[in-house]
Amino acid sequence: MIHIDNLWKSYPARRESLGFKEFVLNLHKILKNRNDVFWALKGISFDIKKGDCVGIIGKNGAGKSTLLSILLGVANATKGIVDIKGRRTPLLELGAGFHPDLSGRENIIINGILLGNTKKEIMKKSAEIIAFSEIAEFIDMPVRTYSNGMYMRLAFSVAVHTEPEILLIDEILSVGDEFFQVKSGEAIKKLINNGVTTVFVSHSMDAIKSICSRVIWLEHGMIKADGDPADVVGQYLEKGR
Amino acid sequence: MNRDIQRYWDLFLILVEKEITLKYKRTYIGFVWSLLNPIFTAIIYFLAFSVFMRFKMDNYALFLLSALFPWNWFSASVLMSVNTLTGNTGLIKKVIFPKHFLVLSLISGQLITMLFAIPVLAAILIYGKGMPGIQWLYGIPILIIIQFMIVSGISMAIAMVNAFFRDLEYITGVVMNMLFWVTPIIYPLSSIPEKFRIILSLNPMMYVIQSWRDLIMTNTINWQYIGISAASAIIFFLAGLFIFEKLSFKLDEVI
Repeated sequence: MIHIDNLWKSYPARRESLGFKEFVLNLHKILKNRNDVFWALKGISFDIKKGDCVGIIGKNGAGKSTLLSILLGVANATKGIVDIKGRRTPLLELGAGFHPDLSGRENIIINGILLGNTKKEIMKKSAEIIAFSEIAEFIDMPVRTYSNGMYMRLAFSVAVHTEPEILLIDEILSVGDEFFQVKSGEAIKKLINNGVTTVFVSHSMDAIKSICSRVIWLEHGMIKADGDPADVVGQYLEKGR
Repeated sequence: MNRDIQRYWDLFLILVEKEITLKYKRTYIGFVWSLLNPIFTAIIYFLAFSVFMRFKMDNYALFLLSALFPWNWFSASVLMSVNTLTGNTGLIKKVIFPKHFLVLSLISGQLITMLFAIPVLAAILIYGKGMPGIQWLYGIPILIIIQFMIVSGISMAIAMVNAFFRDLEYITGVVMNMLFWVTPIIYPLSSIPEKFRIILSLNPMMYVIQSWRDLIMTNTINWQYIGISAASAIIFFLAGLFIFEKLSFKLDEVI
């Protein structure tokens, strides 16, 4: 379902913009160094089968988020093969498509369409989404009036109700208060049990061990280990100490 | 496949809807502003040029506005498009969807504003003892399609290039100001000496704006101008789309 072969990803290593004087004075240097790049991922290969739940661990800057962006399709590989079949639903930055001046209800529709539904499909599900989010009494108010927790609840509800085929999760199991956290954790587990392919980036080794059937450990843009969760997490913690 | 088309269409419509509703979301009279704006613009220009400064031209207000309203659609769309990609990084980095829609929905939202100006133009025409002709029925849609293609070509290109080269935002402002003066908006084409007219004739917006004016003021359609505009519309649209597609591959690295 997900096939990654020798994936490389670079970003331009440019410094932040210079002043005009520096720009003119260093023009030849800038032109010479313009192709300097930073390699965020260096030759990654793996396959994920349908229904797998794969955890990705690693230190900050190891390339986890870059990998997730490429899996989602919002970033492109510099080199290598990325072949992904199925509808991808991100649980990355919840509510990225929300507009503060629109009501919760309007944002459900927009976000639902952005996440891959037709308007009709999302209208049908909206009652269910609102019920799950538990913020029915505020649903017709602009989301700028929402508390952070309410905002996250709504965004999470939309995302899990869009029938994902591939779920990409980045450290979001902390949505809302503890009651909603339990609820959201269960919703994700239910999706996974129903055969949704999941890629899960987290620093919480407990969450990784309890959910994932396989773990990939990234370090400096390369795969350091790939296999059984208990094993890989063990190695990772061992080395980190 | 069919579902994908439906989904993209829904996405486009909802973005346009968002564009329109958000504009007046926190105002009291809301959408009425869309009609009030052109009316007030018309009144101001009418007072300025037909009451205080009397130009030696019949109905100068209509002359000016018949070109100014379409121009405003063009210029507002282009100037606002510059930031559609750089201003929506959250969306672009986290959600997969056709990014052209951000630009196209913005232009469509501006088109609605322009549509509200047409009845105002008709009213001034009738006030000046004129009458909108049957030509409006097909002339206006033709011109809208042509202008939409030119605007979207330019807007897609600059929105994308601006992500890589942020100075473009300011360059665009200067260039639009310049273009305003080499397009016959506040002056008639005939007032330009023959030898300079070649410069104006290189400006594709000249043909479009002149066609709007001919249609609104005299119910005439200059098919030669329409032909030139249509040809440049196709070129601009394809070129803009090409630039957008080419660069969008690297967009995630710079925003």
